[in-house]
Amino acid sequence: MTAPVLPARRDAAPPRAAIRTDRPAADRGPVVRRRLRRAGLYLVLYLLALAVVLPLLWVLTTSFKSDGDAIDNPASLLPNPVTGAAYQTLLASADLPIFRWFLNSLAAGALQTLLILVTASMGAYALARLDFAGKKVVFGVIVMTLFVPPVIFLIPNYLIVQNLGWLDSIWAITVPGAASAFGIFFLRQFFLGLPAEIEEAARIDGAGDVRIFLQLIIPLSRPAIATLAVLSFLSNWNDFLWPVYVLLSPENLTLQPGLSVLRGAYSTHFGIVMAGAVIASVPVLILFTLAQRHVVESVAASGLKG
Amino acid sequence: MSDLVVERSALPQVAPARKPRGGRRTLTAYLFLAPFLLLFVVFVVVPAVYGIWISLHAWNPLLPVKPFIGLTNYLQLFTPGSLTSGDFWQSMGATAIFTVASVPFLVAVPLLLAVLLNQRLAGGSVFRAVFFAPYVLGVAVIGVMWRYLLDPQNGAVNAVLSFFGVQADIPWTVDVPWAWISLVGVTVWWISGFNTVILLAGLKGINAELYDAAAVDGAGAWRKFLSVTLPGLRPVMAFVTTTTILGSANMFGQSFLLTQGGPGTETRTVIMYIANLGLSQNQMGAASAMSYVLFLFLALISIVNFRLQSRRGD
Amino acid sequence: MKNGLVRRLTAAGVALAVGTALAACSGGTAASTGGDVKAGGYDGPKVTVTFWNGFTGGAGPQVLKKLVSEFNSSHKNIAISSVPMEWDDIAAKMPLAVKAGRGPDVTVVHGSDVATYAAQGLLLKADAIAKTLKMDESDFPSGLYENGSYQDAQYGLPWSVTPLGLYINKDVLKKAGLDEDTVPTTEAEYDEALAALRAKGVQGEWVDPYFFTGVMEFQSLLWQYGGELYNDDVSKATYNSDAGVKALNVMLDRIKQGDSPAKVAQDGDINALIAGKTAFNWNGIWQTSNTALQSKNWTAAAVPQIGTEKAVWSSSTDWAFVNNKGQDSNKTQAAGVFVQWMNEHSLAWAETGELPATNSVREDSSLVSKYPNLKPFLAELDYAHFETSAPGIPSADALLNTAVNEAILQKKSPQQALDDAAKKADLQLQQNKQQYGY
Repeated sequence: MTAPVLPARRDAAPPRAAIRTDRPAADRGPVVRRRLRRAGLYLVLYLLALAVVLPLLWVLTTSFKSDGDAIDNPASLLPNPVTGAAYQTLLASADLPIFRWFLNSLAAGALQTLLILVTASMGAYALARLDFAGKKVVFGVIVMTLFVPPVIFLIPNYLIVQNLGWLDSIWAITVPGAASAFGIFFLRQFFLGLPAEIEEAARIDGAGDVRIFLQLIIPLSRPAIATLAVLSFLSNWNDFLWPVYVLLSPENLTLQPGLSVLRGAYSTHFGIVMAGAVIASVPVLILFTLAQRHVVESVAASGLKG
Repeated sequence: MSDLVVERSALPQVAPARKPRGGRRTLTAYLFLAPFLLLFVVFVVVPAVYGIWISLHAWNPLLPVKPFIGLTNYLQLFTPGSLTSGDFWQSMGATAIFTVASVPFLVAVPLLLAVLLNQRLAGGSVFRAVFFAPYVLGVAVIGVMWRYLLDPQNGAVNAVLSFFGVQADIPWTVDVPWAWISLVGVTVWWISGFNTVILLAGLKGINAELYDAAAVDGAGAWRKFLSVTLPGLRPVMAFVTTTTILGSANMFGQSFLLTQGGPGTETRTVIMYIANLGLSQNQMGAASAMSYVLFLFLALISIVNFRLQSRRGD
Repeated sequence: MKNGLVRRLTAAGVALAVGTALAACSGGTAASTGGDVKAGGYDGPKVTVTFWNGFTGGAGPQVLKKLVSEFNSSHKNIAISSVPMEWDDIAAKMPLAVKAGRGPDVTVVHGSDVATYAAQGLLLKADAIAKTLKMDESDFPSGLYENGSYQDAQYGLPWSVTPLGLYINKDVLKKAGLDEDTVPTTEAEYDEALAALRAKGVQGEWVDPYFFTGVMEFQSLLWQYGGELYNDDVSKATYNSDAGVKALNVMLDRIKQGDSPAKVAQDGDINALIAGKTAFNWNGIWQTSNTALQSKNWTAAAVPQIGTEKAVWSSSTDWAFVNNKGQDSNKTQAAGVFVQWMNEHSLAWAETGELPATNSVREDSSLVSKYPNLKPFLAELDYAHFETSAPGIPSADALLNTAVNEAILQKKSPQQALDDAAKKADLQLQQNKQQYGY
C-alpha cells in the first residue's frame, strides 16, 4: 500500500557537482521574481491567518462583554462596558473547583499521552520495521477498527470500566482512550518512510531491536512523535462526551465537562461560555507553541533534513 | 546516535526495502506489540464484537430483558416504512453530502498551508501556532461560538457582510444550502490546523537533496511539488485522507450544536442519529446495527481508496 | 490484499467467538421496578445524601445552596451533598450510573421523564412518603400529580412548574405609539397590536422553528383550539388534527404577514425582544430571571387566548428517589426527610424563576409581593397543560419538533409535516408499549 519512497527517488538524483555549475546562470530576473513570489507568499499567509484569527478575536472580546451587550451588539468587537464579570464567575466561584478540574485535565491528558506514545511507538515499530507471522492480520484488524463508529464503543466500554472498578477515576478517562488505532496507524506510516539502510547498518554493527528502536527509530521520528503527543493530549483535553458518562463526583471532573456545569440551564450566557473557552484553550495553546518549537529544533538536530 | 546518522550518508544507495532484512522475528514483534494489543483487545476489539452481539437483540441497556431478535435490526433498515429506515438512510445521505463537500477542502487547504509553512519564514512558528489555534478549542466551544457568530438575525458574520453591502439575512444555521456551507466552513476552519501539523511532520521527513536534484533538472515550484513533495508525502497523505474521510463520516458535534440537524432533519448526520437513538433513546440494538452498516460502507470506500492509491503508486 | 483479507476475516471470526463468550458471561443485571421509600422520619446513623440536580443557571445555584445549608445545619444526622449539572448531562449520566450503583440518592427530574425512568427501574416508589407528607393531587395544579405516577404507583413528587407566558418589551410598544401598559389578552387585541406594530415597521412577534420556543407556542395553540398531542392511552399521535393545522397556520401567518423574519435562529426570539427588535415573545417563566432582560423595560403576562379556549404549555420538575443497585435504605429515608423539608420551604424557590408546585405555597401572599414578575403566571396554572407522561415519550415528542421546524421553515405544508410526524410517532409509541410493557 505504501512503499517507502525515499531511497527509490534518490537513485534519480544526479551528482552534487551539477548543482554548482547551475548556480552562476542565475541572473537578476529570477531574483525579482523570487522576491515577488515571497511577497505573495506572505500575503497569502497573512490573509489566511486573518481568517483564522478573526473569529477567535470575537471569542476573546465577547468574554469581556456583559450579557446584555453580547446580545445587543453581537457584531461589535469592542466590549461596552469592558467587564471581567464572566472570569470572576468562573474563577472566583467557591462552588466550582475550576482549578482542581484544570489539574485533573492536565493529569489525564499527560497520562493518556504517555500511554499512547509508549504503546503506539512500540507497536508501530513492529508493524513497520519487523517481519513476522500474522503481521497483515494484526494490521488489518487494527485499521479495520478505525472504521467502526466510535459511538457504539461507549456502552460496552462503560460496562468494562465499571467491572474494572474504574468508574469516577482517572483510569476511566485515560486507558480506554489510549487503545485507539489512530496512534499506531499514524506512527507506522512515519516509520515506514525511514530509510532501511540506516537500520541495516546498525544491525551489521550488532545492534538489537531494542537498541534500534530506542536509539535510532525514536530519535529519527521525533517530529512525528511530538505531533502525536500534541494531538493525543488535545483529544483527551477536549473530550466531553465520555467523561460526562464515567466521571460522577464533581471534584473528579475534567475541565470540559466541568465548564458545561456553568452553562445556564435555559439561557446561554455568551460571556461566560466564551470566557470558559479562553480559560480552557490558552494553556493548551501555550503548550502547543512550546512543543512545536521542540519539533522544529529536533528536526534540525536529528539531521533528517539531509 | 549521531554517528549512526553520519553513517547513513556514507551508505550505498540500496534498492527500496519493502521487507526489512533480518528474517522473521515473530516473538520479538509480538513483544513489541503486546502493550498496545492488550489495551486494543480489551477496549476496542471486545466492545466492537460485543456491538455485533448487541445488534442482534432488542438491546436497551436499562432493561433486564434484552430479547434476541436475530437480524431484525438490520432488516428494519431495508424495510421501507419502518420506524428507522427512512431516517437512517436520510441521515446516511446527509453524512455523504458532508463528507464529499468537506474532505477535498480538509486535505487541500492543509496541504497548501503545510507547504507554505515548510518554507523558511520570518515568524514561522507564530504562523504555525495561529493556524493550529482553532483546533485547540473543543467541539463544544466551536459549536456555541459559531452559532453566535453565524446567527442569521443577530450574528457578526451577517453584520460584516451587510457592512460590505451584501444581503444580510443569510440563514447560516437555519436553512439549506447555507447550513451545509456553515458546517463545512466551520469544520475546515477548525480541523485544518490538525491536518496541517501532520502534513508538516511528513514534509520534514522528505530528503532535502531531492529538491536540490529537482532544481538541477530545471524543475519549477509546481513541478517540484508534483515530483518530489507529493510522492514523498504519500504514506502521510494516505493517513491524512483516510482519517479525514473517517472523521467527516463520524461528524455529529457540529450538526448537533450548530444546526440541530435542521432544517427538519436535513443536516442530521448518521452519527448524530445513531448517538441519539443509542444513547438518548437507549435503543442500542438498532443503533449498533446501523453502526455496522455504516462500517461496511466505510470499509468498502477505503478498500477502493487503498486500491486506487496503491495502483497509482506502482 | 486478496490473501490478507481472508486472513483478516478469520482473525475477526476468532475475535468474535471470544467476545461473544465474554458477553455471555457478563449477563444482564435485573432491574426490579422499585422498592418503596418508607414513611416517617429518619433517626439512624449520620448519612451523606447525594442530590443531583439541573439547577445550574440563573439564581438556582444560590437559592439551592442556601436551602441546603439551612437544612444541613438543622439536621444533625443528615448531610445533603448537592451536585448541580446540566440537565443533558444528568440525562446521559444517571441511568447507567444507577444501574452501576453509583447514582445519586435523590434527584429532581423533568415531569416528562418520570414514567420513562420508572419503567427503566431507576426510581423507587414514593407512595408511602407522599402519605406522610399528606400529599395528593388536590395539592397541585390539575394533572400535575398524576404525571408523576406510573402503573398505579407514585414515583415523582411535584416540585416546580414552569409555564409559558407572553413577554413584552414596553419600549417597543411605546415607540410604535401603543399604550405600554395595555396587555393583549384576546385574538382580536393581539392581532390589533401586531398590526399597529407592523404599520410602524416593527415585526411584532418573532416565531422560531425550534423547541425553545416555537414548539411550546405550537402546543399552547393546539390546546387552545381544542386539540391534543396524543390519545388517552398514549398509543396514537393526534396533533395532525384540524386544531394542529390551525395552530401552525397562526404561527405561519406571523411570518407571511411580516410580523416575524422567516428563518429565526434558536433563541433568536428572546434575543430580539431583549435587543428591542420585537415587542412580543412567547417564552418560559424562567426568562424572568434572565440577567440580560433585567436592564430593559419589560413585563410578562399570560399568553393571549388565540383559539377557542384558554390553554398554555407548561413543564414541571419532580422529586424522585433513586433505585441504585444496592441502594442504602438509610440514605433513602434521610432523602425523604430532605424532600419534605424542601417542600415546606419552597417559597424561596420562586426566586429562581420557577413556580413552587404546591398550591398552598403559591397562594401565600408573600410570593407575589416578593416576586411580582411571577404574578401573571399564577393564573395560568388553572388551564396549563403539562407535558405528556409515558415511558419512552421523549422519542415520540422529538418527532413533533421536526414537524414544527419543517412547517415554520415552509419545507412542508402544516398538514403534511404533522401527518408525517404522527405516522412515525404511532410506530414509535407502538415500540415503546412493546418495550416497556405499559
